[in-house]
Amino acid sequence: MSHPPRHSSMLSISNNVQTAATPSEKPLPPTQLQATSQTPPGLRVPSNRKTIYDRHLNRTRNGELSRASFAFLFGEMVTYAQRRVTGIQDLERRLNEQGYPLGLRLLDLLFYRTTSSTSSSALSSSSTSASPPNRPLRILPLLHLIHGPLWRQLFNRSADALEHSISPDTPNEYMITDNDPLVNTYISVPKEMNQLSCAAFVAGIIEGVCDGCGFEAKVSAHNQPSELWPSRTIFLLRFGDSVMEREKVLERAGVK
Amino acid sequence: MTSPGDAPPVKPPPSFSPGVPRVASKARYPGQRRDSTASLDPDQVEPRTGPSLTPPLSSTTSELPIRSASPYARSVRSSTPQIARSSLGSPIDGRADAALDTRSLIIRSFSPVIGVYASPDTDELVRQKGFKGGFWELIRPFGETIPGKLVVRDSVGSSRGWEDYGARFVNLGESCPASTDPNQGRNSSLAQVETVLERELDSIDSPSNGALHPQDLLSPSTTSPLYKLYLRQLLSIASASPHETFRHPVACVIAISSRNTAPLESLRQLYADTNNGKRKMPDWIHPEYLRYYVLVHDEDHDDISESTKLYDQMKRHFGLHCHLLRLRSNQCVVTDDNSVQVPECEWLSPSERLSNPSEPLVDLDSDGLLYLFESDVMAIKGFIRELVAQSVIPFMENRVAVWNDQVASRRRGISGRLMSMSRKWAGFGSSSRSSLTGSGGGASGNYNMAHGFYHFDHSEAILRKMADYSFMLRDWKLAASTYELLRSDYANDKAWKYHAGAYEMCAVSTLLNPLGTGTKTKLESIDQMFDTACYSYLTRCSDTHSTLRCLTLAVELLRSRGGSAAESAAKWAMRAMDLGLVEPIGQGLFGERISSCYASRTPLHGVRWGGRHRKAGMWSLFAADMWLRLGKPSLAAACLEEAERLYANVLGSDGVFTMPEMQTFAENLRLSVKVGYLEARGLDIREETGSTDPLDNEETSEKLDRRMHRRSLIASPLDTGSLTLTPVQATRDGDNLANDDFERA
Amino acid sequence: MSYYFTILSPTDVPLFNIAFGTSKSGGDGIARFRFPEAAQNTYMTQFIIHSSLDMLEEAQWMGGNMYLKHIDTYPPASSYISAFLTPSGTRFLLLHQPPQPNLPPSSSSGPGGGSMSLSVTSGMGSSGLFGGSGSSSGRASSSSIAANPTSPQTEEAVRQFMTEVYENYVKTVMSPFYRRGMEVKSPVFRGKVSAAGRKWL
Repeated sequence: MSHPPRHSSMLSISNNVQTAATPSEKPLPPTQLQATSQTPPGLRVPSNRKTIYDRHLNRTRNGELSRASFAFLFGEMVTYAQRRVTGIQDLERRLNEQGYPLGLRLLDLLFYRTTSSTSSSALSSSSTSASPPNRPLRILPLLHLIHGPLWRQLFNRSADALEHSISPDTPNEYMITDNDPLVNTYISVPKEMNQLSCAAFVAGIIEGVCDGCGFEAKVSAHNQPSELWPSRTIFLLRFGDSVMEREKVLERAGVK
Repeated sequence: MTSPGDAPPVKPPPSFSPGVPRVASKARYPGQRRDSTASLDPDQVEPRTGPSLTPPLSSTTSELPIRSASPYARSVRSSTPQIARSSLGSPIDGRADAALDTRSLIIRSFSPVIGVYASPDTDELVRQKGFKGGFWELIRPFGETIPGKLVVRDSVGSSRGWEDYGARFVNLGESCPASTDPNQGRNSSLAQVETVLERELDSIDSPSNGALHPQDLLSPSTTSPLYKLYLRQLLSIASASPHETFRHPVACVIAISSRNTAPLESLRQLYADTNNGKRKMPDWIHPEYLRYYVLVHDEDHDDISESTKLYDQMKRHFGLHCHLLRLRSNQCVVTDDNSVQVPECEWLSPSERLSNPSEPLVDLDSDGLLYLFESDVMAIKGFIRELVAQSVIPFMENRVAVWNDQVASRRRGISGRLMSMSRKWAGFGSSSRSSLTGSGGGASGNYNMAHGFYHFDHSEAILRKMADYSFMLRDWKLAASTYELLRSDYANDKAWKYHAGAYEMCAVSTLLNPLGTGTKTKLESIDQMFDTACYSYLTRCSDTHSTLRCLTLAVELLRSRGGSAAESAAKWAMRAMDLGLVEPIGQGLFGERISSCYASRTPLHGVRWGGRHRKAGMWSLFAADMWLRLGKPSLAAACLEEAERLYANVLGSDGVFTMPEMQTFAENLRLSVKVGYLEARGLDIREETGSTDPLDNEETSEKLDRRMHRRSLIASPLDTGSLTLTPVQATRDGDNLANDDFERA
Repeated sequence: MSYYFTILSPTDVPLFNIAFGTSKSGGDGIARFRFPEAAQNTYMTQFIIHSSLDMLEEAQWMGGNMYLKHIDTYPPASSYISAFLTPSGTRFLLLHQPPQPNLPPSSSSGPGGGSMSLSVTSGMGSSGLFGGSGSSSGRASSSSIAANPTSPQTEEAVRQFMTEVYENYVKTVMSPFYRRGMEVKSPVFRGKVSAAGRKWL
């Protein structure tokens, strides 16, 4: 499972002006904290001259992250999000917001990795012969992207089901089912918070991916336990009107 | 306007109606969706121009253009239904349907030319009425729009009625330049167009025309009257030249008056003059044009029975193409009963316009306005209608049919193709054998290299004439196919001007043919034709005027097709500017035109893409810049306003460019337009009263208000760097740092 | 060949700008744009880029490739615009202008026509390791790429350039301190883009 904390290990410099307020959120290795003199203020370049730009994006591609550390980290994220919330919905919203930027980033990384899958040189692009994957233009390819590649990148397996709402009133609703979401594996929700699904974090990731691709959508996570799968979770995707309008136009234009 | 049966080439894009709501769907992503209705908010739309500009500009946009409509408005005084109808077809009335409008303008610019050759006594009679130019000047304005429907039959025999048919009367003999070098004076003719425009603009800016506002000339999203003037000027420059026969006379009116003592002899003499006398046409003009004999009867002094007798004699001697025109010889003044003002000539060439020093736009004698008795007007109109409907059009139809049968079909058939091939490959020509590899390799030898023309009775010249006739009869299909036939012939003969003309008109008639669908391949081939025509005109013949005319026709006709054709129209307009053919004022007009070409592409329904608002907005801004540099801040202001209207579709509700230097440019432009505008107005104010002072104060405060909610303006506009940009974009694009509700550590 | 490369956010906000010239065939890597308005040509690139967004938005939904090839031209300056779209909707736009325009000699309409340099937009982060600030002098000689902006070779070179920038852009985006819509100020990134430009263009 690839996860943001993993990327933080690849970071060396930040180019954010607003980092000053939150210096120790993600502690950097001590070697990277020494700023060199000739760089412009506000930016730190590690002494070994290795910046994020010198590291390879595919190195950790197949690396597995310890499940325990993930469980611990995610637990901390939930705890963090839980502070001062007004209710379950508020908590879910915060989890969603934590996932959203991750989705945006994963999208670019996902495409980059598929593009440059055949190469391992520093300029991986130069030797690719396979044509890069297409950006999803219609809803279905997007859903397949989420259901397949995205899920595999995150959880090392595809999602379990992909459904379209059968109700004629809500043609814009789609469902992705995960029978046993990783995020909920180590979380037991108190009875009074029955409705809560911490998979709202994953819903946020999905929302980020949809949004990044230009599909305005609201994504929510719902518990749908079954006999076989007690923690079965359904991600409900509701696409915006503009997306549905565009679908019609693209359909007419014959864009797949 | 074309007749109702005419399939309109395109539905006018909705953006052309002034009141169109600005649908600025800018919903990018849910987090930063900006509501489209926001741009309808007057607070956000209006003040973006210098606010000082908006009150005078927007308040009057609904008014009709006073100046351009005026001659017709005045002529409406006459109660005759015919005049009212004729003014309906005038191009400067209709601002409703801009695309069809320019199309009609172009079609009418290729009207058949009818020569006028009057005996001295006729001219004398007319001069008494106040027309110094004689009989020609009297009837000329009435020929431009023929009242009522004219029915024309095309080559396959189907009839079409046209409401906007017209004919151009020229003084026979004056229409063709004495020298055979048609290039002479042409280059300066473009400069003359520029001068006409300059005068027109000056007359607007001058305080005496205070009632006029520039938006009368530059109405957003329709064809501006100024541009129409430009177009008309451009299309009326051409004098007769060998390579196209539009300015060659189709007919000639030979007129005598009832004062003539030896009428029949005079008529014969006049006829002889046109055939081989002093009015003989050069070798490249076909001499077999229609002769039409007119007897002008003096109602005030002569006896009608005498004239009728004479008229019967005329008919016996000269056939059916005769007319008895009954006119009063007394001069009419405005105070007379039933006086009608003579309409303005629409198709004055630039030099004619410039020869009127006092009033550039209105064609007037220095005496003042000219008036005619209503009976005279009726008589002239009846005469012209009869002339065109019963003689000229049937004559042209007949010629087209005969030539099509005798010349064109032979070329079109298999043997014709073989002949042209063998001509090409073996030098086996119709009239002479030219060497295979010589300079005229494969040439027919009909082309007179030394003087650059085909003799009128050679098949190349006849076919061109036939094509032009069918073009003027609006049978564009036949015209296009005939031009196509000719293209290779001219190329073989290296008759480059003919070559260019054939390509130009082939493309034009293809575009005018309403049935021709605008498929992509077709558009490409049309582009190719225009390209060839331009190359031949400009590089091979260095004929700047024809090149510009060709490009302008391309722009207008492609634009009227809409869709992707409008885009290539914009490309052609850019080409015209690039080639340096366009003088400064024309540059401004072309800039506006490019903008409107792009603006005519509207986004697809339901999605954001498909429009060209950014391009349109950019060109409007550039046009504003050009006007400003020409010292026309009022025109610049109109362009600015148009630019903001266009950009409202793509920019955020705050109307700020995301790119800093664009924003700086726009700010500076706004500022200088405002300064220029206020300066221009300031002069006026001093002459009048101080009443506008409070208005100015109001404007200043409004300006300050406005700046408050425009973040990027807090800094000096010259220094809009990344510093001011950052907060804006953080809220626009960022992940909502401030509002994420997370605790700050 | 002169180049102006810009990265735009999905809402058209510029995140990164750089101007450079070709380094092939003896080019000195300095951009020399020719625009009619010789005095104030800095805004021209932005206008041209901005206006090409009309085309980009259309191309964006007509095909799913990330590299959209050259999508637009601006005939008056004989400029071509190539575009690359990241999956998350960020746009890379490259304006390229061949050294010698294929225009027939224009007669006096525009003032100048002399080559003008375009300096990297000031105030955009680091003051430019590779700011093109050359004076107006001899133009870069034409290279094989420059000769024909629409040739397959050029398209391929631009594609390589774009892909390399994309790689670096992904790295930037992966930084937790980078949020969407933020300007990219890292001098290292700038250096990488310049290097890519030298390498491919």
